Amino acid sequence: MKYFKKQQLIKLIIAVFVLVALSEASCHKINTPDIVSGKLIFTFEHSVGENSLQIDTMKYVNAAGNPYLVTGIQYFISDICLHKANGDSILLDKWNDIHYVDTDLPETWDYFLKDSIPQDDYSSVSFTFGINAEKNKSLLFVNPPESNMFWPEYLGGGYHYMKLNGKWRDTSGVIRLFNVHIGIGQIYDSTGHITRFVQNFFKVQLSSSAFSIAAGQSVEITLNMDVNEWFESPEIFNFNVWGGGIMQKQVALHIVCLNGHNVFSVKDIKTLIHE
Amino acid sequence: MKKVIFYISVIELMAIFLASCGGNNKPNPVYKPTPYKIDIPFGFPTKLNIPADNPMTEEGVKLGRYLFYDGRLSGRTDPDSMMSCSTCHIQKNSFEVGINNPRFPGGFPYGITGKPTPHVMLPMINLVWNSNGYLWNGFVSENNPNPNFRNIEDIVRMGVVSDHEMDGDTTRVKQLFQSLPGYPELFFKAFGNETVTFKNIERAIAQFVRTLISANSKFDKYIRGEVQLSQSELQGFVLFTTEQGADCFHCHGGYGNPLFTTNLFYNNGLDSIFTDPADRFGVTGDARDHGAYKAPTLRNIQLTGPYMRDGRFKTLEEVIDFYSSGLIQTPYVNPLMHHINNGGVQLTPQEKYDLISFLKSLRDDDFLTNPKFAKPEKFPDEK
Repeated sequence: MKYFKKQQLIKLIIAVFVLVALSEASCHKINTPDIVSGKLIFTFEHSVGENSLQIDTMKYVNAAGNPYLVTGIQYFISDICLHKANGDSILLDKWNDIHYVDTDLPETWDYFLKDSIPQDDYSSVSFTFGINAEKNKSLLFVNPPESNMFWPEYLGGGYHYMKLNGKWRDTSGVIRLFNVHIGIGQIYDSTGHITRFVQNFFKVQLSSSAFSIAAGQSVEITLNMDVNEWFESPEIFNFNVWGGGIMQKQVALHIVCLNGHNVFSVKDIKTLIHE
Repeated sequence: MKKVIFYISVIELMAIFLASCGGNNKPNPVYKPTPYKIDIPFGFPTKLNIPADNPMTEEGVKLGRYLFYDGRLSGRTDPDSMMSCSTCHIQKNSFEVGINNPRFPGGFPYGITGKPTPHVMLPMINLVWNSNGYLWNGFVSENNPNPNFRNIEDIVRMGVVSDHEMDGDTTRVKQLFQSLPGYPELFFKAFGNETVTFKNIERAIAQFVRTLISANSKFDKYIRGEVQLSQSELQGFVLFTTEQGADCFHCHGGYGNPLFTTNLFYNNGLDSIFTDPADRFGVTGDARDHGAYKAPTLRNIQLTGPYMRDGRFKTLEEVIDFYSSGLIQTPYVNPLMHHINNGGVQLTPQEKYDLISFLKSLRDDDFLTNPKFAKPEKFPDEK
């Protein structure tokens, strides 16, 4: 201490104070939007046609004319991407961006993206339904409920993109059970051996998803899954043709995934201003 | 100033010296528990169900092991009427009664009064990873509005007081252990107080139960790349994990869920009439849960008969026959049983054999013989 003059000591104390103050300020930035960015929240809803999905009630009819009910839906979305009119895009959250939605678990119905969103005008939003090939590896999730979505190694590994479970009434009036489970598909040879796997994840480009975000704002985008759309367009999916399980039927998986492009729509976009 | 500091230091030293030279030469016991570390096996969940008010310690686990095996947990000392957790939860039977148990014929346990338990036992394996509710219907769960029915600690109490188990009295039990030499000291080491409380009895046994981890079966060694499965076991594994095979994995896990259970509840097509008030519907009131029960882990399944919640199947062969062709369609069957319109998954005799071969690869002999889980050589009051 004797090497310091009094004036130097005062300067040192001031410098330490300033450093501490700056570090405090930067910690706060983690929790609240900074001066040039906002936050994005996705909320997930489910319907059949115009009406909210009612679980376990045989009241729906798909495009193939199959009366059906739904007991539950679980799925992953990932790779949320914001697009700008000039062609630029921002991929959000990178490796932390896989979100699990479960109609039985209300805590999964909101997805708070971790990344701050630069203030700007965005022309549209896209995401991957399921998990892309790079990330979809077994044991990526070890904790339930996500781990319960594992897709067997023998069938390609990784995770179910979706489990849509329910029952339908066949042409004889018999109630049958269905599992529309999609994930990595398989191609079999004539002896029943798997010759290769097919990545069935797909990109969903949301129409009417333009939004603007200003500094300090949060934008909440409500996405709706219309369950009927899984069975309707561009290809009609008929339970009486494909039966109760499709995990090992790549043609059926392909039809469902094609239809999946039209399943989601933007129901609402709300801007929330922070106090 | 320096003088003042000097005198304070001298007084402190004198106080320490006097304290250490008290009339009693016995050193004061020190409460300094050692945290118990659970090593997460390959592929297992990292989230553990350990209540915040009962952190695991080496001392707590040690005490819990004594209590788990001590027949005086029933509050009685007569050898004919003693009962502990281990009376029914027997290590060599994967902590179940076991189908060949001479005391409980057929593997059906009953309490000290002779009253049978409402359901047969569930596996006491890897419970530290269960966050979806305990018991066949998940009644004991962190979602239970009643705080007395939320975790393993509560099941300990239920076991002690229930007339179809120990039919004990918590006051008598804690007084008995208070009077047994050695136990109060163990309670102090585990919980910082020599006074035996029933709450701490619950906590200690729950800590021990959370250490009962099975993760070293032949299948575990296979997925760790240490051994190869036989051709039959591999064929069985393929059947287990394919929708067009036996389709077991949706409820019972596999490589991606090595607990071999989702810990969720399913109506698996076992019955046509549902009158059991203790099914999952009895807990949730959700129509989807009529006749639904927990899918138990299949680890050590070879040893945990009889099977299903009422023990109706004595052998694995009977179980596989049921899933192959014995399913019963009702409005409450879970959609995952989508082969039900064919009566089941329709396995050939060879496929049944292979599937059972695979299930037997889930037997974990290290778990069944691990001395850390075994009955202690002596209880604390034994010389």
